[in-house]
Amino acid sequence: MKLSVIRQRGLWWAISSALILAGLAAMAILWTQIHAPLRPSLDFVGGTRLQFELDCTKPNNCDRPIQTAAVRDVVDAQGLAGSTIQVLGQEQHAVTIRTTNLDVDQRSKLQSALESKIGTFDVKKTQIDTVGPTIGRQLFSSGLLSLIVAFAGIALYLTIRYQFDYAIFAIVALLHDVLITVGFFAILGLINGTEVDSLFIVALLTIVGFSVNDTVVIYDRVRETIALNPGRHIDDIVDDAVNQTLTRSINTTMTALLTLTALFLFGGETLKNFALALIVGFTMGAYSSIFVASTLLALWRERTGNAIAPVNATATEANVSKDPLG
Amino acid sequence: MGRQRGLLLLILALVIASIVVIVKVPTRLGLDLRGGSQLTIQVKPTEEIKKITERELEAVQKVIEGRINGLGVSEPVIQTAGEDQVLVQLPGVDNPQQAERVLGGTAQLDFRSENPTQIAFLRVRQEELQELQTKQPALEKAGDQAAIAANQAAIVAKEKQVEDAVKQVYEKTGLDGRYLKDARTELQGNVWAVGISFDQKGADLFAALTKKAAQTNTRLGIFLDDKLLSSPSVDPAQFAQTGITGGNAVITGNFTAESARELELQLRGGSLPVPIQIVENRTVGATLGQDSIRSSIIAGIGGLTLVLVFMVVYYRLPGVIAAIALVIYALLTFAAFNLLGVTLTLPGIAGFILSIGMAVDANVLIFERTREEIKAGKTLYRSVESGFFRAFSSILDSNVTTLIACAALFWLGAGLVRGFALTLALGVVISMFTAITCSRTLMLYVLSIQSLRKPELFCPNIPNKPSAEATS
Repeated sequence: MKLSVIRQRGLWWAISSALILAGLAAMAILWTQIHAPLRPSLDFVGGTRLQFELDCTKPNNCDRPIQTAAVRDVVDAQGLAGSTIQVLGQEQHAVTIRTTNLDVDQRSKLQSALESKIGTFDVKKTQIDTVGPTIGRQLFSSGLLSLIVAFAGIALYLTIRYQFDYAIFAIVALLHDVLITVGFFAILGLINGTEVDSLFIVALLTIVGFSVNDTVVIYDRVRETIALNPGRHIDDIVDDAVNQTLTRSINTTMTALLTLTALFLFGGETLKNFALALIVGFTMGAYSSIFVASTLLALWRERTGNAIAPVNATATEANVSKDPLG
Repeated sequence: MGRQRGLLLLILALVIASIVVIVKVPTRLGLDLRGGSQLTIQVKPTEEIKKITERELEAVQKVIEGRINGLGVSEPVIQTAGEDQVLVQLPGVDNPQQAERVLGGTAQLDFRSENPTQIAFLRVRQEELQELQTKQPALEKAGDQAAIAANQAAIVAKEKQVEDAVKQVYEKTGLDGRYLKDARTELQGNVWAVGISFDQKGADLFAALTKKAAQTNTRLGIFLDDKLLSSPSVDPAQFAQTGITGGNAVITGNFTAESARELELQLRGGSLPVPIQIVENRTVGATLGQDSIRSSIIAGIGGLTLVLVFMVVYYRLPGVIAAIALVIYALLTFAAFNLLGVTLTLPGIAGFILSIGMAVDANVLIFERTREEIKAGKTLYRSVESGFFRAFSSILDSNVTTLIACAALFWLGAGLVRGFALTLALGVVISMFTAITCSRTLMLYVLSIQSLRKPELFCPNIPNKPSAEATS
């Protein structure tokens, strides 16, 4: 089987565009609702999230499941109307409450009010996350900054190792992966209320670091093939390079996806969305390397009249690709 | 072959060493896995101290250390972060609210003396307040909402005036928390109180202060953070000559057992030079942490197994070698975490598990190359050699780009994020070694065994399947 990426490039680009547009549409709708393209967790906007679980070692404490309405009554009575309340666990013995930023006294009051109404909580199963708005902004801007720095760093490295146009299209492919992942979470936020936290930014950065690999491997092969066959048309070269590296691209993504699936299924609540973001991003990373980065490079070389590389330029490139072990 | 044998021995030694390290050196677990509280404390400038310098930050850190020691938390971590923040980690703390209250208060204690001329003024204000308050029930009966609201506002304004008047009544004496030697919770009759002892200088000041109070028949004002806690009087018959000597005093005020204990801890730790605010609190219960550990072990073993099975099924003999290299990788990396004292957090473990999936990338690249070379008709040995040689540039590039992303995360990220970056980066570096050196050595060793030197163990269907280009 041979994949002709070049001949069907219109199709690949259409798929990518459709995915990106769907994500952008979801972001736009979210923007009209909450003035943000994604649902930010308290990591970024500040707030308090409390998780309590009934202490079942105490007699009669776990007789009945926690009722959302009962919790809401208590929370509202504390002047915290508009908080998000979610009852968790198979037996419904745990509850999470997301409110505005509460200080320690407000929190203690809320907790004792809840305990008198619902039952004693187990201190060893309590989780508290409270983030002031300033810290939230700090986390957000440092996250964003690290994304930008990573992009710039990778662009710089690729420019040094390859040629400038390779670097540009690798970055385009990365933006494509990140954009689709962000769009995917905008859609999830829209239909499922999924929030993005600092781990989401970590996931985006990991996607950036990982999915550039596929692109690099294909570009490396393009460069090598150009060096070995000067005078061949770029379309053929790209097609060959993609096909020769196809199994590798698929298998590498496969192994990473296998571990991510394990993380998604067994890794617990905290890592679920993190693993999901990586699964989407890595899949898109493989897709964009095979179908987008390569075809864009071919198109660019065609349009700029470099479809057939000059012989002497390729000779120096060949040296670059051959020396690392020596 | 001598070099190969040396490398093989080196790998074996590393594996044994890492198993020893894993068994002997305990893994450092982050608070999200062992349970505990992490607090970020923001140091706030005041009108006197407009800019927080290193000096203030250090002073705050010291006071906080003192208070935490009183809390009895084992292995706390206290470090400054940025220009005006202090990061506190309290492993296994079982009352996070109390810890937060103890750490958060400024605890500026001072003893003030009453100024008789201001008392009359305070009395007038207090009477005015009382008058307004008595008016309220009558208004509520009449039901005139506007009048009720107006009166309520007047009460609030008056309460503020009373509070100010109280501050006017008491004058600072210079005797404050600096001179404290000790503090302890006491039960006075059936009321909770905090007993304090002054050092020599403080005891002298206190004696002079109480002497004056006894002589002029005025009261003392004990203030905490500018709020009046109690205003005891001094018995003139007993203390008019010498004042209260010995440097001991008792603070009463509406204390519960818990709040008395909290004040005791704060006073013992000393007062903060500037106010602070706890801007972030991440607390995870110990049981939740254990649940996370269990689920990440399952995820880790599950992920590793899936990758091993995939590699062996797809790549056959080289797959087995890659699988061995991967297990070596997991051992070495985990040992490196323990050895370097990397604190494992939940995202850190995620990074480690993910790196297992990514570590085989290099082997996949190499084996794909090897297969191509075999298909192109090269001998087995030369195919393997050139597989390793020609895949190297791709491996290097792809690992460097991942390291760049890790570096960005590590430098600019905070807390948990850094743990992920560190474990992933360590994983990438170690995987370069295991995937290239380890699997190459093992592969060459395998090739030296006659019965294993069969191309079909390396690449299925060589003779019949034409190369990729010919089919389309």
